[in-house]
Amino acid sequence: MFEFAIFFFFAAVAVIFALVVVLHHNPVVGALSLVASFFALAVMYVLLEAPFLAALQVIVYAGAIMVLFLFVIMLLNLQHQPEEPTRPVQQFLGYTSSATFLIGLVYYIVKYAAFTALPAGPFNSDAGLIGAEIFQAYIFPFEMVSILLLAAIVGALLLSSRSVGARAQ
Amino acid sequence: MPFDATDIVLSFLKIAVVLGALLNVTPIMVWVERRGSALIQDRPGPNRVGPFGLFQSFADALKFILKEDIIPEQAHKWLYTIAPMFGLLPALTTIAVIPWGLPFRLPAKKLFGHVFFQGDYFFDPIVADVNIGILLIFALASLGVYGIVTAGWASSNKYSLFGAIRASAQMISYELALTLAAVSTLLAAGSLKLTDIVWQQTQYFYIFNVIKIPAWNVFSPSMWLSFVIFVVSAFAETNRLPFDFAEAEAELVAGYHTEYSSMKFALFFMSEYMAMAAMSALVATLYLGGWDIPWWNEPQVWWASVLTMLFFTLKVVAILLVFVWVRWTIPRLKYDILMRLGWKVFLPLAFVNILIVAFFIAKQWI
Repeated sequence: MFEFAIFFFFAAVAVIFALVVVLHHNPVVGALSLVASFFALAVMYVLLEAPFLAALQVIVYAGAIMVLFLFVIMLLNLQHQPEEPTRPVQQFLGYTSSATFLIGLVYYIVKYAAFTALPAGPFNSDAGLIGAEIFQAYIFPFEMVSILLLAAIVGALLLSSRSVGARAQ
Repeated sequence: MPFDATDIVLSFLKIAVVLGALLNVTPIMVWVERRGSALIQDRPGPNRVGPFGLFQSFADALKFILKEDIIPEQAHKWLYTIAPMFGLLPALTTIAVIPWGLPFRLPAKKLFGHVFFQGDYFFDPIVADVNIGILLIFALASLGVYGIVTAGWASSNKYSLFGAIRASAQMISYELALTLAAVSTLLAAGSLKLTDIVWQQTQYFYIFNVIKIPAWNVFSPSMWLSFVIFVVSAFAETNRLPFDFAEAEAELVAGYHTEYSSMKFALFFMSEYMAMAAMSALVATLYLGGWDIPWWNEPQVWWASVLTMLFFTLKVVAILLVFVWVRWTIPRLKYDILMRLGWKVFLPLAFVNILIVAFFIAKQWI
């Protein structure tokens, strides 16, 4: 009962702030709403007995990534300017593709997720267990992701370094 | 999870104790800071209101409440109002997972006609002993940036914005070093729970088989590097001098809270001191043995627990005094030096430190 109340409250928070992200015209308000939405999502993880995942959700998404988003928005110093009118083709493509995606998502959830029974017993998300799995069973994908991120870092450094950029031109 | 009345009542009691202590930190620390700075600078400091100027903080609080609350014309009203509360949230919540005393067995007690405490009830002086303890602290601490950033942006003042951007850059940079430094203590304890980290430190080790030394992390040679990195990063995380770029008054007027007045400003003030207290409690827990009293095997009874609580408070107060001492001793760094220090010195050192601690653990030296 108590958990249901918490679930519905934070589900509402997540959905409402997600809507604010999409609908609000101010990008700073949008970014902060996304933080709130992520935080509400972390509460869902806690209710699913995955506190480790919840902490990572807050640290990585709400804490680290969104700070960078905000940072970029503030450094760009966006002014209030009227949005350019969209062309009918753009509107048509936007509405139809998002509608298709929504229908596909609902179909998938109804077919595969909602009516299959959850595995019995609590979902074990102990930090030690996850660490052992990552460094034993999933070591290859883990290293691949590391290389991918390293490539992104090197690329960013290359782009931001003036001397290299000057040489390239 | 089954709840019973005892659990709920004791939880509320714990929350009340922790919050009460934390809320009282600000007025006391403001007084300590002003008197301490006066002591260091060889002047009297506030000494008129009450004995030793002790009631100065109450006068200040009254002034904060009575001042006019101004919202600038150009400000984003909503965010401007929410920002100080956002800033307060992490400081208030992180303290929940820090253990502040020895757990002990509560004797059965009759109250209002029914057995209130079961005989085997174990009272653990911590609000929430969660499995992910320290991760939760870092998760909530990483949200602390938003209060500052939002305040700086919503004020629509260039000094505020500069202060906010500097502060967030600084906090992001030093968060990494802080977290990586804390990893070594987790490695030693083999757990993310702060209670496990404290229990591991209640043991002893011997030098030359003669001198008995408590196994506090700060006494272990493998932890010295991590301790230094953690404490210095803690100064940067809490935006204290020598790292107070967020409000460097010589350059930015008052940084992100330039436009704030009255209680909203007081909230920023409070969150700064509470973050400081929470950080001190974390340093005490991770490195100074938490509530452990050295050279004494505490029996698990209530009076021993009270003694450990006092000892924990003593440790936190000592670290808070170091915070004040450092503020009035070391001048502010330059901004580029601060960033260089964070990324090029502390971050690599923190990585090296993890290797050192892992080596020590592999050799079973700790």
